[in-house]
Amino acid sequence: MTGILRRDPRQEWIARNRLHPEHERVLAELGQGTAVATEWVGPNGVIRKNPHAVGFIGPNGIKRIDRSGVQQAASAGRGVGHESAAADSRRRVEIDAPAFLVAVVPDMAGGRLSSHDRDLLGLARQLADADSEQPGAVLAVVFGNHKEDGFGEAGVDRLLHLDEEVFDGYMPEARLAALSTVERELAPYHWLLPDSKLGGADLGRRLAARIQERPATGVWQIEKDDACELGWRCTARGAAGTTDIQRALPRVVLALAECAEPVSETRHAVQPLALSQVLPPLLGRIEDLGQVAVDPAGVALAEAEFILSAGNGIKDWDGFHHAAKVLGATEGASRVAVDDGFMPRHRQVGATGTWVTARVYVAVGISGAIQHLQGIQSCEKVVAINLDPGCDMIKRADLAVIGDSASILAALVDMVEQQREEKRDAA
Amino acid sequence: MLDSILPVLIFSALALAVIGAWRRVRLWRQGRSSPVPILKGLAAMPRRYLVDLHHVVGRDKVMSNTHVATAGGFVLAAVLMILVHGLGLAQGVLGWVLLAASACMFVGSLFVARRRRNPPARLSKGPWMRLPKSLMAFSLSVFLITLPTVGILPEDFGSWILAVALAAVLVWGLGEMFFGMTWGGPMKHAFAGALHLAFHRRAERFGGGRSTGLKALNLDDPKSSLGVETPSDFTWNQLLGFDACVQCGRCEAMCPAFAAGQPLNPKKLIQDMVVGMAGGSDANYAGSPYPDRPVGEHHGNPHGPIVAREGKALVDAETLWSCTTCRACVEECPMMIEHVDAIVDMRRFLTLEHGNTPNKGAEVLDNLIATDNPGGFDPGSRMHWAADLNLPLMRDVKQADVLLWLGDGVFDMRNQRTLRALVKVLRGAGIDFAVLGNEERDSGDVARRLGDEATFQSLAKRNIATLSQYRFQRIVTCDPHSFHVLKNEYGELDGHYEVFHHSTYIAELYEAGRLHFKPWKGGTVTYHDPCYLGRYNGEYEAPRNVLRALGIEVAEMARSGYRSRCCGGGGGAPITDIPGKQRIPDMRMNDVKETGADLVAVGCPQCTAMLEGVVDATAEIRDIAELVADALVTESDPHTQPTAEARIAIKEVAS
Amino acid sequence: MQPEAHAKAALEVAVLVSIGRHPLTGRARRADQDARGVELAMSLDKARITLMHAGALDDDSESALRGYLGMGFQTLTLVEQPRDADVIPALASALSETKPQLVISGERAEQGEGSGLLPYLLAERLGWPVVSGLASVEKVEDGVATLLQALPRGQRRRLQVRLPAIVTVDAAASAARQSAYGPARRGELRCTEALAVPDEASSEWTVQPARKRPKRLKIVKAASARDRFKAAAAKAEGGGGQVLTDVTPEQGAEAIFKLLKEEGVLR
Ligand SMILES: Cc1cc2nc3c(=O)[nH]c(=O)nc-3n(C[C@H](O)[C@H](O)[C@H](O)COP(=O)(O)OP(=O)(O)OC[C@H]3O[C@@H](n4cnc5c(N)ncnc54)[C@H](O)[C@@H]3O)c2cc1C
Ligand code: SF4
Ligand code: SF4
Repeated sequence: MTGILRRDPRQEWIARNRLHPEHERVLAELGQGTAVATEWVGPNGVIRKNPHAVGFIGPNGIKRIDRSGVQQAASAGRGVGHESAAADSRRRVEIDAPAFLVAVVPDMAGGRLSSHDRDLLGLARQLADADSEQPGAVLAVVFGNHKEDGFGEAGVDRLLHLDEEVFDGYMPEARLAALSTVERELAPYHWLLPDSKLGGADLGRRLAARIQERPATGVWQIEKDDACELGWRCTARGAAGTTDIQRALPRVVLALAECAEPVSETRHAVQPLALSQVLPPLLGRIEDLGQVAVDPAGVALAEAEFILSAGNGIKDWDGFHHAAKVLGATEGASRVAVDDGFMPRHRQVGATGTWVTARVYVAVGISGAIQHLQGIQSCEKVVAINLDPGCDMIKRADLAVIGDSASILAALVDMVEQQREEKRDAA
Repeated sequence: MLDSILPVLIFSALALAVIGAWRRVRLWRQGRSSPVPILKGLAAMPRRYLVDLHHVVGRDKVMSNTHVATAGGFVLAAVLMILVHGLGLAQGVLGWVLLAASACMFVGSLFVARRRRNPPARLSKGPWMRLPKSLMAFSLSVFLITLPTVGILPEDFGSWILAVALAAVLVWGLGEMFFGMTWGGPMKHAFAGALHLAFHRRAERFGGGRSTGLKALNLDDPKSSLGVETPSDFTWNQLLGFDACVQCGRCEAMCPAFAAGQPLNPKKLIQDMVVGMAGGSDANYAGSPYPDRPVGEHHGNPHGPIVAREGKALVDAETLWSCTTCRACVEECPMMIEHVDAIVDMRRFLTLEHGNTPNKGAEVLDNLIATDNPGGFDPGSRMHWAADLNLPLMRDVKQADVLLWLGDGVFDMRNQRTLRALVKVLRGAGIDFAVLGNEERDSGDVARRLGDEATFQSLAKRNIATLSQYRFQRIVTCDPHSFHVLKNEYGELDGHYEVFHHSTYIAELYEAGRLHFKPWKGGTVTYHDPCYLGRYNGEYEAPRNVLRALGIEVAEMARSGYRSRCCGGGGGAPITDIPGKQRIPDMRMNDVKETGADLVAVGCPQCTAMLEGVVDATAEIRDIAELVADALVTESDPHTQPTAEARIAIKEVAS
Repeated sequence: MQPEAHAKAALEVAVLVSIGRHPLTGRARRADQDARGVELAMSLDKARITLMHAGALDDDSESALRGYLGMGFQTLTLVEQPRDADVIPALASALSETKPQLVISGERAEQGEGSGLLPYLLAERLGWPVVSGLASVEKVEDGVATLLQALPRGQRRRLQVRLPAIVTVDAAASAARQSAYGPARRGELRCTEALAVPDEASSEWTVQPARKRPKRLKIVKAASARDRFKAAAAKAEGGGGQVLTDVTPEQGAEAIFKLLKEEGVLR
């Protein structure tokens, strides 16, 4: 964004002229949003806005305006035509003599940076890069084996990889000991951890308690504020997410997902780092006996993430159970299916059954009575399979397939099995 | 010879009866105290028996006449027998009257016997099967021993064998009628029943009155017990009432929960209370059991728990939670026993002491405590449904003719349609009304029926405080449950209001010529009486009048009016949701189907929800308010008053 | 109904309970997680349970605390603290006096900062291990507790921890039983005095009702403007409320399959 502003009057003119045949192309080249320019520099260098073109089309086809600034921030990189944001044109950044370290301990769920981790690294970059004269470096502390090769793109300058076996599984004591050593040796200016259950939330609180720093938890926004000790102010969720606490940013920060935009413009050096000290052996009091196998079918409805739910429209029950098994879904049911004795009572979803929170809820042959819909209020994605295109479940569904449940489920099962087959062959 | 043993027999039977009576009274007196006017009650008893009780019995004419003959004959015969044979006062007509009385009783007992030949399932068997024979034994033997007394037969007729045989039959008769009456035989019902009528806990019910509101618990006294844990926690006259049961099973025949195969039978419940008050097991019970619960596994004693925290005691909790509080049993009971009071008393203990309200019960109660509505919705969003209706708020207008009580239906999309319709009707009639808006809270109905008296009283007191700030003539509501609670249950907490169900109010408006309807063009219509409007408040006619005014001829269901079958929605039953073999609303929609109706008119949000939840229903469900609103003719006649809507419009123009 | 067991074998359990707050009305109530903690304690064999709260006593807090008593307890220990106090020192000293084997707490409070630090700070002070996010306690034997920790998707991890320890409960732990009015009314709040240390840092914060967080938009990074345009357009039509009529079962299944893949619920 340091490039010199060069203007092309003709292009700008076309951009302003909505009737020009090349209007859209030019706009797009200018990198402004979807189709229509929202903001441009007028002929006199004054910023112009097109109020009609603000916003974007939301997922339901409704126009939405985002005043949070996130959009602007996102489009800032594209700005007025320079550094068009192509994935292959990332700027390389190397910070050889950092003024300070910002330590991030990503969760590395599944051995990769999660999107939460990336947001956090984005936040770390904000802290590190605030003063371009004296840039800090972002240090990632990674435990155990990992499969990530994109640390650089995510904004990591230094990587401390601790892959001893003692860190595998739920080993908070060992990890805490390691972090304490990092604190002693490297004394990061900030510690950033994702405030994520069983990940950073746990480890971060341990760390804060150990190094006796009062952390900010549930942080979702930071702002420069020189009145504060560390130069930043933050907004954090309090009281179980019902309040916002504005406070000075402390050394240890536990931040929520989407606390910052992930790094997208730069690629960083990922210089490996090691501790000079050998970690002392540790007598752990917590022992991880490993994960307990829980069959998806046996998962309590309230906890299930993916539910295949059966209603009065199911005729082929064996087919339904088979489908649930193949899909790895937890079984749910409407009251009618329960009343008719096809499903046990504890599988009933709805007002008088369980209120579920599944991310994906597939309603097969369920009409969508209000009492049933109440139970799936907080489901993110609802899929309906039903013969009747007019029923209420279809109105609620994000995806509805009109047709006979048995044959659609059978086709779905085939598809999943076939795909698994291919995967196995490939592997 | 008979002459000499007769007085002995009679007086020893009497003596035994007195001892039995004393023991029985002692059983009742295990109960908690409950002040009743003893003498006044006793004095009122004959009338209560002859008028009120027979009003109920008289629904079955044959049975009613049978009972008059048998019971009347018996009472007369017994008294005269004591006089004639016991005290030897055989002069004059007494003997003849005794003959007539025993003959009359004999005829009655023949009818009793006929009924017992193929008894319907609702009647208890066991000792009750011998009752007609006992009645005959008594009446016949009294008749025969009186024959010589009046001189029809010679004094020393027949041999001593005959005399002994006669004496034996008489002993049987006396045993059943006198001894059995107070020692727990079938005739107990006469003794307990008479006293029960005298000391009934709801004396207002006699003489055509109505008393259906639950009685409040005293929560201010930290020592007072919270509901009924053991049989002796009932008041003494409740125990007495249980003892009056004749096991006629009329309640059982009417109970929707029993019919749906849920583990409840009101008759068995009352009998279990009798078992509990005397101590023992239910093994001797000879009627229909609770569906799916075998007899003989439960037992109790006067001071033992009725419902065990774990395992079995006298009754299972599911039995109590199956009840919809529809009052069909109470309405039908010839002995005027109060089943619903007893059930709620026991539920109170389970909720307030055990903290064991089943299924969604605990959640609903928590919601009521935290958000003042059972669904846990934001109490600040009560009026969202009416954002476009500009309803006048009491807080702004301070007074209005009608306070429209909206109820928790405001949170339910289906009921919002009814409410909109009602608002349209009120405006159409130019009524000056206002609503409480966000100041309204749940009436406390469901909390109370789930046994949570504390939450009920908390809600009620706060509602009463709110209502006391405003001036209005009457409250109108389309929810019979709120209607009942506001009208009949707030009084004890010092909230006295004139409350109208919307059907009653609409009927009045129509009578007064303030509403005009287009003629009905739809199909056949039937009407479902909501329990809390009908049996609880006796309003059967107004809704029918409204339908008639709409030009609808109601195709009545077999069970309608005071015998209407519950929709299954009352008493928190949908919340506790005790499984049965079928669902109550499904049965009700079958009743609807039998009439061939295309549409069933209802007057209760709960009924609407329950009946609409039936899959593959054959009829559409509409609230009366909706039917009225659809048929409403809004006149542009300059002579009529401007409607409220118009007035608001004028105000807006002016301002 | 205080679970009574003979004194020797009994496992001393302390449950730390706080004043909850209803998310819609803000009325004081049992805190959901803490109540689950109490339930967890009640599920333990031969446990002698102490309920403990540090804070001020007023109408609101009393009704909430009585909510815990209503689960079937005769007493609750109330370590009296002024409103703005840092309760850690007081709780730590109360716990080191009563010496429970197992301390159970919720993950975070429904009021105040709600940082969820309390169990960690206590553990650090007392030198005890802390385990977070429990679904249940399987058994306690020879001073070692076997625990099930809740993982996403209803999965569980088995852990062992040497007692004394502090554990926190997850929302996957059994829901708390109903609080009954009778025992709540009868139960006793046993007040104990403790040193009060004011929490100074928090006095400098400004606290407001939570603002709605802006939802992040899917930023489409594409090589060319044309792709970007296409991506945006595709999003608009392929989004919610899609109804597929007149499709073969295979086509329908494919659409569902795609959605399941996108959501990452197929394994
Ligand atoms: C107080 C109360 C509480 C209630 N609580 C609950 C509750 O908690 N949970 C609950 O679920 N219900 C509850 N109900 C019942 C609810 O009102 C409905 O009756 C019920 O949800 C309907 O179940 P359903 O959709 O399976 O059956 P139906 O309404 O019969 O719907 C069957 C659907 O399957 C479709 N279909 C039929 N054949 C096929 C086929 N071959 N392929 C695909 N589709 C087909 C039909 O088009 C129809 O849409 C409650 C009701 C009441 C009154
Ligand atoms: S009130 Fe109704 S449901 Fe309850 S016992 Fe009586 S008849 Fe049955
Ligand atoms: S309770 Fe009443 S209706 Fe029921 S069996 Fe007894 S006497 Fe008959």
